[in-house]
Amino acid sequence: MAIDVIRDVAKPILAGFGITGRRLKHPKVTVQYPEQTREQYPRTRWRHFLTRYESGLERCIGCSLCAGACPARCIYVEAAENTDQERYSPGERYAKRYEINMIRCIFCGYCQEACPTGAIVLRKNFELADYKRESFVYTKEMLLEEYPGQADEPYVSIYQRQS
Amino acid sequence: MARKTDAPPVNITINGIDLQVPKGELIVESVKRLGLEIPIFCYHPRMKPVGMCRMCLVEVGMKQPDGSVRKMPKPQAACTLPASEGLVIFTDTEQIHKDRKGVLEFLLINHPLDCPICDRGGECPLQNNTLFYGPSTSRFVEMKRHAVKAYPLSKHVTLDLERCIQCGRCVRFTEEISGDAQLAFRHRGAEMQPVTFELEEFTSKFSGNTIEICPVGALTSSHYRFRARPWDLETAPGICTMCSNGCNVWFDRRKGKLVRINGRTNEAVNEEWTCDKGKFGTDWMNNPRRASDVKVRRGDGFSRADWAEAYAEILERFREGGHEVAGLAGPMLSNEDLYLLRRMFDETFGSSNLDHRMTSVQGPAVEPPSFTIEGLEDEKGAFVFGASLSDESPIVYLRLRKAWYRQGARICVATSRPDDADAFAAVSVRYPQGGEAEFLRSLVAELRVQLEGGRSFGELADLASTLLETRGPILATESLWNLDQAGEVLAQLRLAAELLGVSLNVMALGANGQGAEELGVRPDAFDRTGLGTRQILEACADGRIRALWLAGVDPFEAFPDRSLVQRALENVEYLVVQTALETEAAAYASVVLPITAPGESDGSFTNVERRVQAFEKAVDPPAEAKPAWRVFSELMVRAEPRTPHFSAREILAEIAREVPAFQGVEWSAARDGGVLLGARRPLSRARS
Ligand code: SF4
Ligand code: SF4
Ligand code: SF4
Ligand code: FES
Repeated sequence: MAIDVIRDVAKPILAGFGITGRRLKHPKVTVQYPEQTREQYPRTRWRHFLTRYESGLERCIGCSLCAGACPARCIYVEAAENTDQERYSPGERYAKRYEINMIRCIFCGYCQEACPTGAIVLRKNFELADYKRESFVYTKEMLLEEYPGQADEPYVSIYQRQS
Repeated sequence: MARKTDAPPVNITINGIDLQVPKGELIVESVKRLGLEIPIFCYHPRMKPVGMCRMCLVEVGMKQPDGSVRKMPKPQAACTLPASEGLVIFTDTEQIHKDRKGVLEFLLINHPLDCPICDRGGECPLQNNTLFYGPSTSRFVEMKRHAVKAYPLSKHVTLDLERCIQCGRCVRFTEEISGDAQLAFRHRGAEMQPVTFELEEFTSKFSGNTIEICPVGALTSSHYRFRARPWDLETAPGICTMCSNGCNVWFDRRKGKLVRINGRTNEAVNEEWTCDKGKFGTDWMNNPRRASDVKVRRGDGFSRADWAEAYAEILERFREGGHEVAGLAGPMLSNEDLYLLRRMFDETFGSSNLDHRMTSVQGPAVEPPSFTIEGLEDEKGAFVFGASLSDESPIVYLRLRKAWYRQGARICVATSRPDDADAFAAVSVRYPQGGEAEFLRSLVAELRVQLEGGRSFGELADLASTLLETRGPILATESLWNLDQAGEVLAQLRLAAELLGVSLNVMALGANGQGAEELGVRPDAFDRTGLGTRQILEACADGRIRALWLAGVDPFEAFPDRSLVQRALENVEYLVVQTALETEAAAYASVVLPITAPGESDGSFTNVERRVQAFEKAVDPPAEAKPAWRVFSELMVRAEPRTPHFSAREILAEIAREVPAFQGVEWSAARDGGVLLGARRPLSRARS
């Protein structure tokens, strides 16, 4: 079958350029990641944080409800008893060990849903890549926010934080 | 209250379904026949109903002569309502739904919102009933009752008063089942508290059961506290190995570690109870001092070795050792371990110096026990001689007490010291320590007199006449071999048994002590002759025995004569210590072989009533630990090529073929309820 150069080659190419040309007028939707990041949707669920009360006490009481709710079974909680000398959370019980395996986590947010104290929350930090499997097991130290309210701050990309 | 009843049947109707039940059966039990459930808190099938919680309300009516039903104006508690002719029960009406909501709302008024940190959360009857029958929201906005939290009632039991719903189960348990009556309610109304008198320590030997029957998290285990939630646990059926009673238990483990033991129902053995020794005594399994590596002595210290190296060394010393080698077996070895141990000594070492008894003397074999634990309930009495059953045989103790409590059995107790059983004994007599034989001689004489129609006066006469009236089994324990005149004591007991025409039962104390007897782990079994424990130790001490094998036993702890043990272990040339813990004896070892603890491998145990009960591996053993039978099997194969044994089941099958007493014992029957030796029938009423 002979090829009609005008119909089969030149016209489609010009039509394609036409689309490109028309699009030039539209506003741009891409951003220059990682230098720029986009505002995340309000209910985005990524990295977990263990939050604190205003007083600085941990909210987590080590109840394992999050672990029970987790469909990926990636949360491990070991509880221990607060004493007056060594108090981590209000009440009798706190989480001595708290680990989430981020490779297994499917970011469904059920743990947040299950938590009776609002301790575990999923925030917008999505840059979770790392080099080693082991570094994906987030320990309590990594998850616990440093000061109350930290987990609620607007998310800033690590690349922006560096510059 | 599972016992048969000969009450005449009556016709009742439940939710429109007609059925016949024995007259007087509680409605809460009758509805179970239809597969229905009535929510309950305070009712417990093994205790008397009290109707304290009102959770079990049902609507009740009577059939009228014209066939219509006249409802009573108010709902009734099903747990205190006995069945009678023409009773009509409604468990599922609008009114009942409303009533249940009301009861739960009242209970929850004062109940804290503790579920997330409550050890009961996830397996809590209050949670369950609230979920299924309760209101979905709370209308209560006032201040809740506040009370003491985490009060240590004892080193085992923690009480949280805020959570108590005042059902009285714990109080009734100590009154009706364990009999120590240590718990009681004090104060009234919302302030009512189940506590010990004067808040002293809760020292009941059965206190752990109150934790299990408490329908909320008011009584919790101090050991299990905060260690896991129910959904973290994996549960496997097991057998307790802390004494010879062989309670059926659940092993709850988290991440492969044992965290809790609960009672498992076996009507023939422990019903559903356990003693504290068994429930809380297994922390050693998680002990950091668990022996986990094979070690051989090099100079003054040990160095790690592999199994092959250890085997070669052991075989060099033991093979064909004859009377120069000996072995002692521990109480926690399974039937399979013991059987292969004896075969290894017979066939590979050619020695009969093998014993499991850790009493101060070892006498000739005694006839095996012939009572059954369940059968005690039907006895008119029993004669406990020289044993503190609540310590030595707690489940037998509970049954005896039940026989007294329910059937009015008359228990006779003769001991040198006051005993728990005195509380319900019809006759309890004290004799001076060391005076056992003399006491029994007088008792036998008195029995003879009374059999001939005469009678003298005093305690002994009462004892003898009660024994003659009740004719229940004689119960003693193997600790009688620690007495000075053990032989004479036994002879007199036999005489007494003969005169009374009853059975004499010398109960083993170790978890598998009875199994060891049955399997011939004693020097005189199966027409062999060898040395018993004391002689073995003496022979070790003066060098006649050159190599000693300690299979799962630390004689320092088990044998009464410490200095003899010390001399023996110091002087014996070669010492194999097969142990689960780094014991004192292990310090003297030439080779240390780690073994699994019970529950860490498959095995079967023979309990005090000769019931073989099998269970399967529930917990992971530490690093290199092997079941003892595997070690014996591997050594035998090394010594002489033969087919090795691969599993405990297979060995039990072999035992059933080779050992007459075990004929017909099968693993599956042994696992599901147990098999009685002698009777050779699987148990009918066992449930798991
Ligand atoms: S994060 Fe929340 S749900 Fe998880 S253990 Fe802590 S308190 Fe319980
Ligand atoms: S006893 Fe039951 S209902 Fe009460 S706090 Fe504990 S889990 Fe919750
Ligand atoms: S402590 Fe438990 S068993 Fe005892 S009365 Fe309270 S709720 Fe009932
Ligand atoms: S179960 Fe009937 S009143 Fe408690």
